[in-house]
Amino acid sequence: MSQYGLIFLAGLAASWHCVAMCGGFACALSGGRGGWHATRRQLLYNAGRVTTYCFLGALAGALTAGICTARPGAPPLESVQRVLAVASGLLILTIGAQFLGLLQGVRRAPMVGFGGEVLAGALRDLQRAPGLAAPLAFGVANGFLPCPLVYGMLAQAATSGDAVAGMATMAAFGAGTFPAMAVMGGFGGWLRIRLAQRPGWRRGAGVAAGVFFVALGLVTLARGLLSLPSHGHLT
Amino acid sequence: MSSALCTHCALPLGRSRHDAQVAGAERGFCCYGCCLAFQVAHGESEEADAAWLLIRLGTGAFLSMNIMLFSLLLYSGGFDMAEGNPRPIVHAALFLLAAPTVLLLGWPFLREAWQDGARGRLGSAALIVLGVAAAFLASVLAMLTGGERVYFDTATMVLVLFTLGRYLEAAGRARAMRSIAPMLAPERERVTVLAADGGQTHRPVAEIRAGMRVLVRPGERIGVDGVVVEGTSHVGEAILTGESAPVPKHPGMSVLAGSLNHEGPLVIQTQGEGTASRWMSITAAVRDALGRRGHTQQLAERVAGAFVPAVLALAVATVVYWASRASPDEAMLHGLAVLVVACPCALGLAAPLATALGIGQLARRGILVRGGDVLENLGAVGAVAFDKTGTLTLGEPRIVGIACTAAMSSGGVQSPGLILALAAALEARSEHPLARGIVMEAERLGLPLFPALGLRVVPGHGVIGEVRGVPTAAGSAAWLVASGFAMPENVGMGMSRERVDDARTQPLDGSLAGNPPRPALTMSFAQLEAESGSLVYVGRGSRIVGVLALDDPLRPEAMAAVAGVRALGLEVLLLSGDRAVAAHRVAASVGIEWVESGMSPEAKQSLVAREGRRWAMVGDGLNDAPTLAAASVGIATLSATDLARESAALVLPDGGLALLPWTIQLARAVRRTMIGNLLWAFGYNAVALALAASGHLLPVFAAALMAGSSVVVVLNSLRLERDQEKWIPVFPQNRATNKESGAASELRCFDLR
Repeated sequence: MSQYGLIFLAGLAASWHCVAMCGGFACALSGGRGGWHATRRQLLYNAGRVTTYCFLGALAGALTAGICTARPGAPPLESVQRVLAVASGLLILTIGAQFLGLLQGVRRAPMVGFGGEVLAGALRDLQRAPGLAAPLAFGVANGFLPCPLVYGMLAQAATSGDAVAGMATMAAFGAGTFPAMAVMGGFGGWLRIRLAQRPGWRRGAGVAAGVFFVALGLVTLARGLLSLPSHGHLT
Repeated sequence: MSSALCTHCALPLGRSRHDAQVAGAERGFCCYGCCLAFQVAHGESEEADAAWLLIRLGTGAFLSMNIMLFSLLLYSGGFDMAEGNPRPIVHAALFLLAAPTVLLLGWPFLREAWQDGARGRLGSAALIVLGVAAAFLASVLAMLTGGERVYFDTATMVLVLFTLGRYLEAAGRARAMRSIAPMLAPERERVTVLAADGGQTHRPVAEIRAGMRVLVRPGERIGVDGVVVEGTSHVGEAILTGESAPVPKHPGMSVLAGSLNHEGPLVIQTQGEGTASRWMSITAAVRDALGRRGHTQQLAERVAGAFVPAVLALAVATVVYWASRASPDEAMLHGLAVLVVACPCALGLAAPLATALGIGQLARRGILVRGGDVLENLGAVGAVAFDKTGTLTLGEPRIVGIACTAAMSSGGVQSPGLILALAAALEARSEHPLARGIVMEAERLGLPLFPALGLRVVPGHGVIGEVRGVPTAAGSAAWLVASGFAMPENVGMGMSRERVDDARTQPLDGSLAGNPPRPALTMSFAQLEAESGSLVYVGRGSRIVGVLALDDPLRPEAMAAVAGVRALGLEVLLLSGDRAVAAHRVAASVGIEWVESGMSPEAKQSLVAREGRRWAMVGDGLNDAPTLAAASVGIATLSATDLARESAALVLPDGGLALLPWTIQLARAVRRTMIGNLLWAFGYNAVALALAASGHLLPVFAAALMAGSSVVVVLNSLRLERDQEKWIPVFPQNRATNKESGAASELRCFDLR
C-alpha cells in the first residue's frame, strides 16, 4: 500500500472526528435544507477546506526544502527529513493513542488569543451568510482551524521535503475526510446524531481511526529511524 | 490640533483617510483595514457587508491558493505527462483564476490609491496597486507572447496577504479600543423609558428629558443622571469617580449617567436632559483628546508622508539595478518585493494606538487628558510638585480650636461658643474657604445665627460689621489692630491656658449642662499656631476677644499618593502659598522633604519655569492655573466638567489623588510602547527594504512580512491593556467616610487670658 493510500485511509477513518468537530458548521451551512442546494454548498465548503489543507501541505514541504537548500552549509535534506519523520511519527502516534483512549493527559492548545478570536468571528459571520461563495470562503477559513489531525498530517507533509509531495500528502488526507463531510446535509448529519447518541459507535469509530493513525505513526517513525523511502510504496 | 476620528477605531483620520459607504451611510475611516473591520462588525443589516467582505477574502484566498498550487505543479513538471506543451493552457487557466481575484481584492486598494491621488498624495495603497499591477500585466504579456513564466500567483497572493493583514490590524485596533467604545457615541446609546401605563420604549439618550422614568437592567450602563425610585443594586462609578468598588444604590439615592448597573434592575427618575450629564462632558473630552496628535505622532506622520515616494524611488532603482545583472523577470520580482515589503502603516500606527489605549485606560477610571502628547510628557517627567491646599488637603478648613480672652469667658456670660457665633454672623455670606469652615462649624453646633449689619469685606484681611449693636470684626491680627481693636497684652507671647472647654457641649450661657470639666491643658499660643493651619482673630467693641484656629485636613489618600510617586523614583516637592509652619507640617505628614512655602502664584510659576526640568505640577486647578500651565504636565484634582475651563493637561477625578502613581506608570508604559513601536516600525522597514532590494526576499514572503509587521505593532500595544492591571492602586475604601473623619477631629477651646 502506498503511503498516500494509508494517509487517505487514516483521513477516512478519522473523519468521524471531523464530523464531531466541524460537522456542526457543515450542517448549519446547509441551512436546514436538503437536496441539491445542500449538496452544492457542502461540495463548495469541502473544496475550500481541502484547498487550504493542500496549500498548507505545500508550504510545509517547501519550508523543509527551503531550510535544506537555503545556503551551501545547510544540513542535507535526508537528515532533516529523518528528524522530521521521527517528530511527526511521534505526534501522529500520540494522536492515534488518544483516539484509542490512551494519553488523555496530553491536552491540545485551546484556540485562544487574538488570532482565535478573529478566526472564530470570521467563521461566525460566514456561517450565516447566504449565497454559494459563503460556504467556499467558510471552508477556506475552516481549514485554518487548529486541529490535531491537521497538525499531524502537516508534520507528515513537512517530512517530504518537497512542496508537491507536501501538497499531495494533505490532498490525500483531505480526500479521506471528504466523503463524510460532503454528505453532512444528509447522511453525515444522521451519522453525527448517531455518534452523539451511541457511545458504542463513537468508541468503535475512535478505535478504527486510532488503528490507522498508530499504523501511520509507526510507518513514519520507522521511516525516520530506518531510513525508508519518504513516499511511494512502502515495501 | 484636533481632527475627525475614524468611525471604527476612533483614531484620528489623518493622511491615509479612507471614506466609504458602509451600512447605509458615508463614513470616514483612518485606513482601509478599519473600513474592512467596521464592515465585519456592523454589517449585520440586509446588505450583509460583514459576510460579503469575508466572502471576498475567502474566495480570493481560495482562488489564489489554487493559482499557487497549479503554478507549483506547472513549474515542477506536474503537467509534463500531458501530450504536447501544456504551458499555454495552464497559463490561460491561471489567468482565468487570477483576473477575478485581482478584481475582488484589488478594487478597494485601487479606490484608496485613487482617493489619495485626488488629494495629491501617495499612500501605501499606491505601492500595492503598482506592485500587483506590474506583476499581473507582465504575466498577461507573458501569457500572450508565449513566455516561460507568469506571476499570477505572486500578484494574487500579495493581495490576499495585504487584505488579511489590514483586516487583522483593524481587528486588533478595534479590540484595543473596546474600553473606549462606550465613550464614542453616548448620545446614540438607547435607554428603556417606562410609560405611565407600564409600557416600555427604547429611546436614544439625546431624547431623554427630566422627570422620565427609566429602567436600567443589570449589566446595562445608566444613560442619564437621576434618582433611584425602585430597586436596589450596586453600580460601578469608576468611569466618573475612579472608585473601582461598586457603590450600593437604594431608592432615593442619586445615580450618575455613565455608571454600570451590576446586580438588580433599577427604575430611575431622570433629573435632567440626557445630553446635559457629566458623562456627556467626559465623553466629549475623551473624543477631543483622541483627536489631538502628539509630537511623536506628528513626526511619524511626516516621515510616513515622505516614506512612500522614497520606497517608490527605491523600487525603481532596484529594478534598474537588477535588470542589468539578471533577467527582466527577476528584476521585476525584486522591485515588487521592495514595493510590498514597505510598511508605512506600522509607522503611522506606532504612536496613536499606544496613546489611544492609554487615554482609554485612564478614561475608564475617570481620568481625563487633553491629548496623547500629555501622556508622552508625563511618562518623561523627573519631578512632581504638589500644591498644598485643596490638593494634598481637602481644601475645606475646619475649626480645630477656639481661644477666648478672660474677659469673654470669666464674665460668666459667654465663652468660646460666642466667639464662634460672632465670627459666623460676620462670615455667613462669604465664599472664602475659611468663612465656610467657620459657618459650617457654627451650624453643626446649632449656634444661633446673629444678624450682622453694615458688613464690609476687606479682601485678604477680614470682615467688619455690627452684631447686636456692637462693632465686631473677624480677620488677621494685624488688620484687626490696624482697624482699632486692641490686642490683649499677653497674646502672642506664649501665654498659658488654664481651662479647656468643648464648644460643642458648652452652651452660650456658659453653664456646663452637666458635662464635667475636662482636665486642664496648658498650651502656648505658639503651639496653637503651630498646630493649626490658619488663625482668625475676632474683635468686639474695642479689643480682640478671641481666636479661631482652623486646619485643613489631609486628603486620606495624600500620603499613599506621595509615597507612590516617590517609589517611582521621582523627586517630590511641595509648593504652597501658605505660612512655612503650615506647609512644613503638611509636608511632614505626607513625607515630602522639599518645601517651598509662602509663594505667590507668580513665584510658583517662575520656580517651575526656572527649574527647567520636566516637572509635573499637581494642583486643585483653581488658583494655580498659571503654574499648571507652566509645568511640563499640569495635573488638576478637579471635577472633570471643568476640564475645558482650566489649564490642566490631565484631570484626576475629585478625590482620585491615589490614582496619580498609576497614571504616571501608565504614561511611562505608553511612552515605552510608543518608542518600542517606532523602533520596530523603523527597524523593520530598514531591514526588510534592504533585504528586498538586495534580492533576498520573494514578493510573497515580503507581503507576509508586511502584513505581520503592523500586527506586531498592534499586539505590542495591546500589552498595555494587560500590564496596567498590575499597577492599579488599592483605593482608599469609602472615600466619603474618610472625608468625614477629618471633621470629627477634636475641637479644642482655649481660654486666652
